[in-house]
Amino acid sequence: MRGTLRLIGGDADIGRTPIFWIGFAIALTFFLLYPTQVSSFRASNVAYYLLNVPMGLGMALLWGYCGVLSFGHVAYFGIAGYLYGIIAGNMAGNSWGPLVGVGGGLLGCALVAAVFGYFVFYARVQKWIIPILTLVFTLLLETFLGQTAGYQWRVGTVLLGGYNGMTGIPWFQLGGFVFEGYSFYYLCLAVVVFCYFGLRMLANSRYGRVIVAMREDELRTEMLGYDTRARQCAVFVLSAMLAGLSGLLYVQWGNYITPSQVGLLQAALPVVWAAVGGRTSLLAVVIATIALNWLTYTLSSQGNQYAMVIIGGLLVVTMMFFPRGIVVMLAEKLSRRRPAESNQGLRQA
Amino acid sequence: MSASTLLETKALNKRFGGVVAAEDIDFAVGEGEMRCLIGPNGAGKSTLFAMLGGFQRSDSGKIMVFGEDMTRRQPFYRVQRGVGLTFQTNRAYHELTVQENLATPRPARAGADRDKAAERYRYALSAFELDPEDHTRAGALSHDKLQWLEIAMVLAGYPRLVMLDEPTAGMSTEETARTAEVLKHLNASGLTVLVVEHDMAFVKEVAESVTVLHQGRIFAEGSVEEITSSEEVKSIYLGKA
Repeated sequence: MRGTLRLIGGDADIGRTPIFWIGFAIALTFFLLYPTQVSSFRASNVAYYLLNVPMGLGMALLWGYCGVLSFGHVAYFGIAGYLYGIIAGNMAGNSWGPLVGVGGGLLGCALVAAVFGYFVFYARVQKWIIPILTLVFTLLLETFLGQTAGYQWRVGTVLLGGYNGMTGIPWFQLGGFVFEGYSFYYLCLAVVVFCYFGLRMLANSRYGRVIVAMREDELRTEMLGYDTRARQCAVFVLSAMLAGLSGLLYVQWGNYITPSQVGLLQAALPVVWAAVGGRTSLLAVVIATIALNWLTYTLSSQGNQYAMVIIGGLLVVTMMFFPRGIVVMLAEKLSRRRPAESNQGLRQA
Repeated sequence: MSASTLLETKALNKRFGGVVAAEDIDFAVGEGEMRCLIGPNGAGKSTLFAMLGGFQRSDSGKIMVFGEDMTRRQPFYRVQRGVGLTFQTNRAYHELTVQENLATPRPARAGADRDKAAERYRYALSAFELDPEDHTRAGALSHDKLQWLEIAMVLAGYPRLVMLDEPTAGMSTEETARTAEVLKHLNASGLTVLVVEHDMAFVKEVAESVTVLHQGRIFAEGSVEEITSSEEVKSIYLGKA
């Protein structure tokens, strides 16, 4: 227990003071009570903000902590989502079908990420090329999925649906208990809390220290005896699985998925969340993911056609004036600490 | 390869286009030896060093370390077998703290005797006045401390053989003397040391034997006295050979 607390409270992320824990307790209470005070529609919207958090955390881990930028992590979001739809759809009527779908979705995106990561990291591809390769991969996936209209593109009884996407995807259920409406909201909240603290423990572990060391100097880290290729590949797979987790929650949230979910626009969003919040802090990315999803939804629902332009503008402003991320730089200001004295999570990658 | 030879190269070659960086290098370092590798700029020292470390592939030839053919082995594997290495340019993690720098290495799987290696590491920390609990950012350290930090990081990996590329570059006379003293102590405790160095005063201070590289080939090899008194070696340093 002490070891767990030590790993959670380590210096790999901001938020170690009593003020953080008070703020966390208030935020958790707010999110726990929120559905009791609002309509299921509003709760469903917040569930959407929450379900994107694992993908944002995966981006923070890969880009912020490991120094590898993927511009196509939504590919794993899509792979997991489509695989869930295919498996759960074919097992319709079987109460354990969705659980098998979740396992299949996560396993599928882990396998694809492992193969992709193997070729990228074992070939020692230069870091600046990786965003391009990952983006190309997700755009190819979008193009492929877009041409799957028609009855010939079906797996079992499930149609892939081309640009119209896959519809009628079953809710997640455990045995007889179906996660829909409020229960789905709480499922998303539980996943966010679990992923956040799990990654915080990872970042504070010895393994996490080596991840940061690879970001700082890959060759030095290898010359300390670590197989950096294998470790970067492992981090890539883990972050892909986190994106896949978001994809799984997404298809259960809306019961559909379309190729646009793995398109260019969606591909940019996790990068924006991580950059605006501060990619070297898990907490900052959690806050930014929720806040930016809320902002996007609010702007779009008010008829603003420029929501994505505004989000893009926010990215530019952040890069120019808050290069380490808005949340991280605010946290630095509040703690009145210079960057040179702050923890590894706060420092510039 | 004799039983006491830790590092050996056979007919090692490396070319960069038309430039010969290493040509038929046959080179051996015995266990417990303190060897200095010298040569004028462009002699091929760094290339040889990079090939021994594994981050530069040789065109042909063989590298044997601890009796094992490491020619095609990855750098991390060599470290896990007990090789430690510092770079010509300091590569401690400048953005991390001293504590994080020293906590990152892990003991080699087939490194030196653990007790002896741990003793060497503790000695280096003490001699270099480094605190493993120091939360100062490494980049804020003075140049000499940064160099020493990287040496200490390598020793934290419990190596049997350490290869140091210009460990005293940029150091003052006093700092160089302290580095020499520490290396001699480490060598006396049984650690095999290979140093690439330009500073001849340092070489005279620490080395038992010296290998001179010139134009990618081994030009001369012998004791410090033999090498420093050689007119031919003097001439290549002055550009006459």
